[in-house]
Order: sequence, then structure tokens, then C-alpha cells
Amino acid sequence: MTFINYVAREINCKIVYYGPGLGGKTTNLQYIYQITSSENKGKMISLATETERTLFFDFLPIDLGQIRGFRTRFHLYTVPGQVFYDSSRKLILKGVDGVVFVADSQEERMDANLESVANLAQNLKEQGFDLGKIPYVLQLNKRDLPNVMPIEELTQQLLVKGEPVIEAVAPQGIGVLTTLKAVARQILVELRKSA
Amino acid sequence: MSSNTFDLHEVEFRRIQAILAKMQKELRAELVLLISRSGQPIVVSGTAERIDCTALSSLAAANLAATDGLANIVGEREFSVLIHQGRQRSLFISDLLKRFSLVLVFDAAASSGLVRYKCKRTTLLLEDVIRDFQRRIEKTGSVTDTPQFSDEELEELLGP
Repeated sequence: MTFINYVAREINCKIVYYGPGLGGKTTNLQYIYQITSSENKGKMISLATETERTLFFDFLPIDLGQIRGFRTRFHLYTVPGQVFYDSSRKLILKGVDGVVFVADSQEERMDANLESVANLAQNLKEQGFDLGKIPYVLQLNKRDLPNVMPIEELTQQLLVKGEPVIEAVAPQGIGVLTTLKAVARQILVELRKSA
Repeated sequence: MSSNTFDLHEVEFRRIQAILAKMQKELRAELVLLISRSGQPIVVSGTAERIDCTALSSLAAANLAATDGLANIVGEREFSVLIHQGRQRSLFISDLLKRFSLVLVFDAAASSGLVRYKCKRTTLLLEDVIRDFQRRIEKTGSVTDTPQFSDEELEELLGP
């Protein structure tokens, strides 16, 4: 749910990073946290297991700057990727404004990617959203690993609706900000349309 | 205010702030917040400097959502009120029209019965404000004046 505060002159939006387990969703947020100046970010919260796997979600509030005198504040969330945490994933999609799908480019993770996209579509539907209409970006992560699938093949199998496709190496920050800005742009364009 | 946006204008802000401030004073609570169910703080009343309201809102919304999930599993429609009792501070979280939530940080020594009673009363007042706002939109059309930024402004913010 986009929240426009005309008193504080702020636009607040929620972005969820979705994808299979160990695909790099948390790493995306950690990189954004590291490179954002302290005045433009809040505290990063990670509700994780003792082995640092996401248990419920990671949360990072950031400020991307001003437009027309309004501060643009984005609340970034990740979901737990492991299959058995499906109830948690549904809850985190509540009130979402845009989704980033973080795909794992490794050949052996293709099935997990496909399963996760299908799961996203279903869970969005249950929350009253349509994957075909919501702001959405496909990030192809782990492009530095030796056993990755070609971009064309990944795109062919994972593309949902002609969304932006961004190659990434999240620990090095490659593609991370481009991904965030691509989804933020779609959200703001949608907001402008809704006026 | 479409189903996927919530616009807060001066009139509603003042009314909500007055309601929250009154409850805060009556209960001598440290902090009272109206938050969205997606975890964004909307209006805050109290000494917020020592508490991260953004993080609190996100976790409170997640907590309420998780509790709804638990309710469904045991065959309840919802658990609409949550109280976390601490040694010095306690936390009260309740649902408001399924789109918002009232969050209160209060002294653990305060009577939780009184807190529940005052919060229930406050929730009804806040529901009135939100319903008034919705009625006004239905009567006059949208009151939204979403910033009409240009493509150039968007480019300046996010790059080409």
C-alpha cells in the first residue's frame, strides 16, 4: 500500500525481494545497506535462524531522494526462500507495491527458480494482486559462478511479462542498485498513473 | 484513497494526532502510533527519539500478520489484540479496519485492563476519522493530488 503523507511530504512504498532459498535476496539488502549513507537509511532488521538463513524476513528502510518536494522512502523486505516457509511469504506480501525476483543463475537451481515464480504468482493472487500487473523486475544473480545458464535461456524460462531483466553479482554490488531503481521507477510511474 | 494507496492530508492528520495525543496523555504512555498493516508508521504521538518507529512499525505489522496466521491455523478468524508484557515497558497492538493498526508502548506497571479499554475507545474514534475520509472521497471524487512528476524528474531521481 503506497502511503502518501502530504503533511510530512513523503511517499512511502514497500518492495519485496522474492526468490528461491540461497539465491541472494538478503545479500542484495546487505549491499544496499553498506553503500547507503546513514542519513538515508534506517536500521536493518534480520529475523534469521542461528545459521543465518532468513526465518521470517529482512527489513531495510531507505530514502532514494526527493521528487517534486516529496521524499521517496522505500521499505525493502526479503522473504524466506525455503519452501516450507510459505505462510511467512504470504504475510510479507501484504500491502506490497513492487516485487524483485532474485533468480539463481546456476543450472541446478532452475527448478527452484521456476517453483518460486509459480509460488509468487499464487501468493500474490491470494493477497489480491496480479503478477501480470504489479511492478516487477527479474534479477539474474550469481553471474560470476562457473555453472550458470546462458541469459537467453534463463530469460526464456523465467520472464513473466517483458519485465526489466538485470544481471547481478550481489556480493560485489553488480546490478543491485540498477535492480532497485528499476522497480522503484515502475512503482512511481504506477503512482503517477493512479492520480 | 484507492485500495492500494493511502493519502494522509492535513485535516485527517490533525484529527488523528489529537486522538492519539489524548490517549497518550490519559494512559501516560511513552508512545502511540497509527501504522498501516503493511508496516509503515502513519501518525506518531510521544517521545519517539529513543525508539526507532520505522522498525517498530514494521515488526508490529509482521507480528499482527503472523498472529492472524496462527489464528487461522487454530480455526479462529483473528486474534485482533496483542499484548507483550515486559519488565519495564509493555506493548499493545490492535487491528483497525484490517488496513491499519494501533500500537502503544506503555509502562509495564499500568493496568492492562485500562489500556485495553482506552485503546478500544480510541480505535472507534480513529475508525470514524477514516470512514469520514472515505465518505468525503466518495462524495467529492478523489481528493488525491498525487505529485505529477515528469519523466525528466524521475530520471533525475533514479538515473536514465
